[in-house]
Amino acid sequence: MADELLRMQNITKIYSNGFIANKDVNLVIHKNEIHGLVGENGAGKTTLMKMLFGMELPNEGQIFINGKEEKIANPLDAISKGVGMVHQHFMLLPSLSVAENVTLGVEPIKNGLYDFERAVAETQAIADKYNFKIDARAKVRDLSVGQMQKVEILKALIKGAKLLIMDEPTAVLTPQETEELFEQLFVLRDDGVSIIFISHKLEEVMHICSRVTVLRHGVCMGSHDTKDLTQASLSKLMVGRDVVLKIEKEDPVTGAAVVSIKDLVKINTIGKNVIDGVSFDIHAGEVVGIAGVEGNGQTELAEVLSGLGMFASGDVLLNGETIKGKTVREIRDMGMAYIAEDRMVEGVAGNMSIKMNIVADRFTKKEFSKGIFMDAKKINDLVDQYIKDFEIACDSPDEPVRMLSGGNIQKVVVAREFTSGANFLLACQPTRGIDVGTAEMIRKTIVRKAREENLACLLISADLNEVLECSDRLLVMRKGKITAAFPKANEVSEETLGEYMLGVRDMTAEEMEALL
Amino acid sequence: MSKTQRIESTMEVVRTLVGLVIAYAVALVILFAISEDPVYIVQQFILGPLSSPRRIGSIINLAIPFTLCGLAMCFMYAVNRFNLVPEGIFMLSACTVTWVALKLGNGLPAIVMLPILFVVAILTGVVIAFIPAIMERKFNANVVVVSLMLNSIIAFLAVAIMRYTMRDSSISYIASYEIPASAQMPKILGKFSIQSGIIIAIVAVVAVSLLFYKTSFGWKMRLVGENPRFAGAVGLSAVSISFAAQLIGGGMAGIAGCTEMLGNYTRFRWSATTQHGFDGLLVAVLAKKNPALVPIGAIFLAYIRIGADVVNSTGDIPPEFITVIQGIIILLIAAESFMSKTKNKLIFKAAEKEEAERKQKQQANTAA
Amino acid sequence: MTIDWIAFAAEVIRMATPLVFAAMAALICRQAGMFNMGIEGMILCSALAAATFAHLFQNVWIGLLGAILIGLLTGLLIAFVSITGKADLYLTCIAFNLASTGGTVFLMFMMTGEKSTTSGAFRSFQIPTIDIPLIKDIPVLGRIISGQSLLTYVAILSIFLMWLLLKRTRLGLRIRAVGENPHAAESVGISVPKVGYISFSICGIMSGLAGAFLSMSWVTYFMRNMANGRGYIGLSAQNMANGEPIGSSIAALFFGFCQALSITMKNQTNFPTEFLEMIPYAATIIALGVTGMLAIRKRRKVESGQAAAKEE
Repeated sequence: MADELLRMQNITKIYSNGFIANKDVNLVIHKNEIHGLVGENGAGKTTLMKMLFGMELPNEGQIFINGKEEKIANPLDAISKGVGMVHQHFMLLPSLSVAENVTLGVEPIKNGLYDFERAVAETQAIADKYNFKIDARAKVRDLSVGQMQKVEILKALIKGAKLLIMDEPTAVLTPQETEELFEQLFVLRDDGVSIIFISHKLEEVMHICSRVTVLRHGVCMGSHDTKDLTQASLSKLMVGRDVVLKIEKEDPVTGAAVVSIKDLVKINTIGKNVIDGVSFDIHAGEVVGIAGVEGNGQTELAEVLSGLGMFASGDVLLNGETIKGKTVREIRDMGMAYIAEDRMVEGVAGNMSIKMNIVADRFTKKEFSKGIFMDAKKINDLVDQYIKDFEIACDSPDEPVRMLSGGNIQKVVVAREFTSGANFLLACQPTRGIDVGTAEMIRKTIVRKAREENLACLLISADLNEVLECSDRLLVMRKGKITAAFPKANEVSEETLGEYMLGVRDMTAEEMEALL
Repeated sequence: MSKTQRIESTMEVVRTLVGLVIAYAVALVILFAISEDPVYIVQQFILGPLSSPRRIGSIINLAIPFTLCGLAMCFMYAVNRFNLVPEGIFMLSACTVTWVALKLGNGLPAIVMLPILFVVAILTGVVIAFIPAIMERKFNANVVVVSLMLNSIIAFLAVAIMRYTMRDSSISYIASYEIPASAQMPKILGKFSIQSGIIIAIVAVVAVSLLFYKTSFGWKMRLVGENPRFAGAVGLSAVSISFAAQLIGGGMAGIAGCTEMLGNYTRFRWSATTQHGFDGLLVAVLAKKNPALVPIGAIFLAYIRIGADVVNSTGDIPPEFITVIQGIIILLIAAESFMSKTKNKLIFKAAEKEEAERKQKQQANTAA
Repeated sequence: MTIDWIAFAAEVIRMATPLVFAAMAALICRQAGMFNMGIEGMILCSALAAATFAHLFQNVWIGLLGAILIGLLTGLLIAFVSITGKADLYLTCIAFNLASTGGTVFLMFMMTGEKSTTSGAFRSFQIPTIDIPLIKDIPVLGRIISGQSLLTYVAILSIFLMWLLLKRTRLGLRIRAVGENPHAAESVGISVPKVGYISFSICGIMSGLAGAFLSMSWVTYFMRNMANGRGYIGLSAQNMANGEPIGSSIAALFFGFCQALSITMKNQTNFPTEFLEMIPYAATIIALGVTGMLAIRKRRKVESGQAAAKEE
């Protein structure tokens, strides 16, 4: 075809742990199109794009750009061939200015030295061309998430990108910021830039893409024109069955406050109030959700509640006792369980066995020791039981955790945290990047444990569907403050929620009073 | 065990062996290149260490301090702290036990004397290891730099203690007075003439292996070493555990120095640190932090060291070239990329095969 | 006890010279995000190279060139093992330092039959000293600042060049970018390994200069283990100043002062030498402790809100 820009043919990628991320995948992108690349988490979208951008090398297959076969060995190669990528996790240098970030790699030079003034001018010129409102001299660490994303796009454009890969660009944006982004993507498309739009938000894909390619478990399920698809048929292609998004649950019967947070303030290393006077309670038997654009204090709140981070003032009571000055061990003994945001960092030790990871929070307890040694039999029996209960797919309990798939690793985490006997569960992004089946199991278990075992749960998640479906009460966090509270999460629309997340509207203290 | 896991663990062993073989080959090439009678020298280097019971005994004797220092470094390495004080502790504990033994004099029987001396050695080790550990914990000071600086200080300190408090001026060289007979550990096993420290080494290997794999402290250490943030999140105090591990490692280095002193010497006469700490690091790296494998690494190192000594005595080739070989071994084993292509290819093939089998099964199922 | 204070001040500058080079070597690697302890061994190898090349070609400048070349090569070796070989940098450097301690003695013995110094077998060469016009005539100051080794003035120049490189050039921007977030740098097509190799090369040149100073200015021969912790002291110096060239140099000057103090007191008093020898090492440990403590205090203050309150 004449207007074919990119053809990826029979791409296969097997990672060094034996995981097959892509198998015989084909992808064709035309000029002047926005092309959706969809699939569940872990379907291999990011891997495919990393190969296109030279960050991973395919084991097999070919890549053609403008009809010519190309080997893309590194990002420099990709950039020189007109490929740009906006990563899901921003690739920015917070201590440098916007201009320095944008021109990094194509720095203007005067007399052998870096020409900062020209860098500013060039950045401003291209920002003005596409109507991006941004101050080229500002330090990146002072920008909002939406602005940081613009910097990322500018970085690709200044290098002359003709094909822009956007990896889940809307995951961190509010609905309003998303709309703005889409407008800009249309401008880019009409200006001759093709865009690969990776997402698992089907309505967005249907809205902006002309064609879509579906990946399922690393295998290509074909490319389709969006006008021939409905959201339902697309979702069938992605998962092979209907996605269960609804969680049936009755209203909570709440008990006493298990956690009380009072005027909590946390200040970070550069003196910014990342948590700025937060107060609310979590009662036995309810799931409290926290929604918010990432980077508005949620991570820090989790750090404080789990005992991993200090706070400057205020107080947190857990089962009537303050956690101030307590160690993580003491807080866990007071009744806290913690599903960490990044499982490979705080959720497991990858090189250690499944067994050690499951009992990591409790093997020091007396009941597991026999004299000076540990009670091997008791530990083995317990671990075998949990592997069965949580359906962890593994060859043996002694297998290193890093060899499991993301979903199974998360099962190891929840096998530990759901069984610790705590009455307060702090769940941060509990289903991020894992398969639908495991995600559903985890969400349902959280709700069930709240209802049946009177667990108090704080659910912090960037997945709006998840917070809306699982939570009873819903709070919105922005700039370190609670800015809105809703009594029934499943009655809130995404649109309303977005307005509060973005700060278009704030609730007054009186409006929220009864809900905190 | 899954296929991938089996390939990974087999490749680890193969990698280590290939690394050793390459380093050994480099040693042979160096010898071949510089000696006037290369065939004889190379033969001496390979077979010399095994040519008499006495030399075999020397290998074992040398492997004893390597084992104990290797265990000491296992503690540091297990919690990912390159606290290199065992190098200094080895010298200083030999010095302090000599000092205490001389003060206690001939009056005490060995059964009382030796335990006291070992306690002194362990205390020396713990106190010294405390310094870099606390510097890192309280002031975030780099533990490698602090421990290396400390080693320099310790060397001067030990020499000063010897010169100003216990130097025997009746002999021609600089050394302490002779330690009482009750403090000297006997040689055993007749013509092999092996120091009785071998018993201490064996007990230590067993005890440390049990500690690492069967006790909750060992589990804690390994978890902290693998992922300190995770350890923190499940309620382990990563800081205290790595701190404690370093102190125990220091104590173990103290035992090593004491065993060497009482088993092989009658006077304290070192004027500089002895490299044993660094040798211990090599052994710990070879053993992949697994205390049970430490003796194997130690014997290998002792074997090439004795080989170098044999060559030195017969061919006038300085034994220092062995440190180059040691460096090469560590580099090859530490380099993850070394032979990783082979490993990945094997894993890739295994995964493809599994995939093919799965497909076949699927087809068989659908056909049925 | 009478100490010649002017000579002492000149000695401070002399002792600080290799430490400044070492600190510059350390900070370029640190800015690229790597803690390179191998500087110790690199300096040692360069020092032997300086003595050897100068002797072989009977020319002091070829000796200097040889030292720089070997510094460069050893730097690239460490870079190769840690970057391309993906080995732990700490372990790589410890292994390299171990090998260079024994390896230099081995090579020295093979060339000279000596194991302690090359002073007997090799002709000694010295980098010329420079008298600065005008300044040399100023009383006191002239005796301190003027008449130092050429390399001392090169060291002072290198501080400025390092600052210029890091803050005002494209390479400097890229080095800092790699140090701050290697993934970000990679994503815009900067080759992280390449920047790493370049940093190690610059580090190697600086280490080479330090080594050349030791065996061709400080003394005029090579002796075993003559780096004597200077690489580690250089690392500590840049650590104290967070990798800033000017601050690191001031720290290096302080350590030079400690070394000069140790030497001067050894020569001019009868205090037990062992304890005097400890001074530079003890000073390093204490300095690391104090700077660490101050940094932690400052952070605590900010996090608990006191500093913010003060500013308002």
